[in-house]
Amino acid sequence: MTNRRDPDLRRDPEAIMRLAIARRLSRRHFLVAAGTGMGALALAACAPTPAGTAGTSAAPGGGGDLGDTLNLATWPNYHDQAVLDAFTASTGVAINVGVYGSTEEMEAKIRAGNSGIDVVVPSNYAIEGWVADSLIEPLDYAQLPNFKKADWNATFMDQAFDKGNTHSIPKNWGTTGIAYRSSKVTEEIKTWEQFFDLAGTTYEGKALIVDHQISSFGSAAVAMGYSLNTIDPTEMEAVEAMLTALKPKLFAISSDVQPPLRALDTWLSVAWTGDGVQVGRDNEDARYVVADDGGELWIDSYTVAADAPHKAAAYAFLDYILQPEQAAAETEFCLFPHANDKATELVAEDVRTNEVIYPPADKLAALEYAVNATYNSPERAEAWARIKASA
Amino acid sequence: MATASETAATDRAPRRGPAVLLALPTFLWYVGFLILPLVVLGVMSVGERSPNGGYTPAFTLDQYANLGSRITPLTNTLGLAALNTVICLLVAFPVAYVLALKVRGSWKLVLVALVIVPFWTSFLIRTYAWMTLLGSNGVPRILGWIGFGDIQLLNTPFAVSLGIVYNYLPLMVLPIYVSLERLDRSFLEASRDLGAGPIATLRQIVLPLAAPGILSGIVLVFIPIMGEYLIPILLGGGKTYFLGNALADLFLQSRNWPFGSALASVFVVGMVVLVAGYLAVSRRLVRAGRETSLV
Repeated sequence: MTNRRDPDLRRDPEAIMRLAIARRLSRRHFLVAAGTGMGALALAACAPTPAGTAGTSAAPGGGGDLGDTLNLATWPNYHDQAVLDAFTASTGVAINVGVYGSTEEMEAKIRAGNSGIDVVVPSNYAIEGWVADSLIEPLDYAQLPNFKKADWNATFMDQAFDKGNTHSIPKNWGTTGIAYRSSKVTEEIKTWEQFFDLAGTTYEGKALIVDHQISSFGSAAVAMGYSLNTIDPTEMEAVEAMLTALKPKLFAISSDVQPPLRALDTWLSVAWTGDGVQVGRDNEDARYVVADDGGELWIDSYTVAADAPHKAAAYAFLDYILQPEQAAAETEFCLFPHANDKATELVAEDVRTNEVIYPPADKLAALEYAVNATYNSPERAEAWARIKASA
Repeated sequence: MATASETAATDRAPRRGPAVLLALPTFLWYVGFLILPLVVLGVMSVGERSPNGGYTPAFTLDQYANLGSRITPLTNTLGLAALNTVICLLVAFPVAYVLALKVRGSWKLVLVALVIVPFWTSFLIRTYAWMTLLGSNGVPRILGWIGFGDIQLLNTPFAVSLGIVYNYLPLMVLPIYVSLERLDRSFLEASRDLGAGPIATLRQIVLPLAAPGILSGIVLVFIPIMGEYLIPILLGGGKTYFLGNALADLFLQSRNWPFGSALASVFVVGMVVLVAGYLAVSRRLVRAGRETSLV
């Protein structure tokens, strides 16, 4: 005795549907479908970008030896498309812009090797380790005829993370500061100490810290009177205890700063320069403050990957985009300050004189660069992981 | 006997060549995309983090010895995965039951299709939509109008559970639906004729026959929740920390590949054990089912 008749598929559309549904969801099929998707991703990641598809855009001005492709690993909304297009138009080199949410993501790609990436724009703290592990190559300044060191602001050049700028040249710099909505926050926030105090008391559930060990743990350390770069066990323990107690009172630990700040889900937030400028442009009550008690100053720099497949194009691109006119256009677009003084002179006055974008020198004096030891400290990474895992 | 098996062997022999050829792509696929990555994972897990991040070859079990430091994300994940699987089951069973046994005709097609429709939209978009709904300009504002105070829904464990149940529900509904759909209705009539009430029928007839579907639903839902990474970030605001988030942080923020590999290896082994257990139980269920129908 069979307990079920076989469906007559020709006459019973419902049975077909039923079979289709059952089949669509059979575990094997599901796994294979999932596997296919991931396999395709893996293949796409491994496959070199088609460099051999020459002929579509002959190089009119830049010489034939540049190739026709450049792979750029950079940050979201960081480049003026018109500037990139002009480079492509004059050299025939098409730029593939890969957008990354953090230096760490860029590092995961170039450390894995054979990423196809030519030019990377990491933050200062990563560069020392990348140089030590030969992930980026020493810059060949002979291929950068337009680079004039005299034009650059000495505050941002020749820093400890890359003495003599042998491996990196700044693209833009910025600060890690406090963004808040003054329509909701009645106090005038001036320090990290104030920020972390208010976040856990008056504005419980309305504060956000970014999901980044250096910026959030570092700013909390500053609030407690320590260095942004502290790796002292006792100090780190104190910071960890403070943040663990604060965590349940936070709105979120997330690097997506702008959406909740705009929607007034958050009233005060750890933020980077660009967030401060952009939210401030659209909301009159939004403030961005570089804290008086210190905090992070950072530089994103152009570097050339050691295994860059298109080195000639990479240098041609750097030589082009670091010229004052192009650098100024990029700065007006991304609204992060530039380290080239000649470029800054060309930037529109409302941007150049905006103290959120270009904070006055006395504000900058209290800030610190995050260093390689902070970035690579296993103890700090573990402390941050414990904070995030805490209830 | 010997001749019989010889004939069988010669019968099969000419077919072996093409069979091997046909199996080759699958074999290569599994070696390339399943076995090799797992080998890489295993090798890396006994290595060391190089001072600037990444991996240095070594042979040490330090990474495994350190696994205790990730016990909180593990217990978090196990607890939430179990809880949300149970919620999914409690919601999905009545839905599947009604779809399979109560709804008739073309309505059934429409309703079953509607269960699948959310899959047509990107998971990310659906989850972002929940962010808007649960944010302070969404449901909490409406609740505010009715007189509830300042209620936070987004970035709470509730939002994480809601997102998980919403996203994984179809994976629970459909296997149960399929097993109930195959249920011979004469069993239900017989049960009623023999004097069993609705609850007794559910317990003694429906649940045992739906068991294979329930079991595959549980596995289909539980395993992806164990690996969940995005929902805790988007709807939990990074405050609910799953194993997936611990893994992502180890590979990105800490750039500690060996420790991440060790944690991932243990996770993979755990899931394999779980699936093996599922296969064993479901095989027994199917066998039991076959014996019942023979009687």
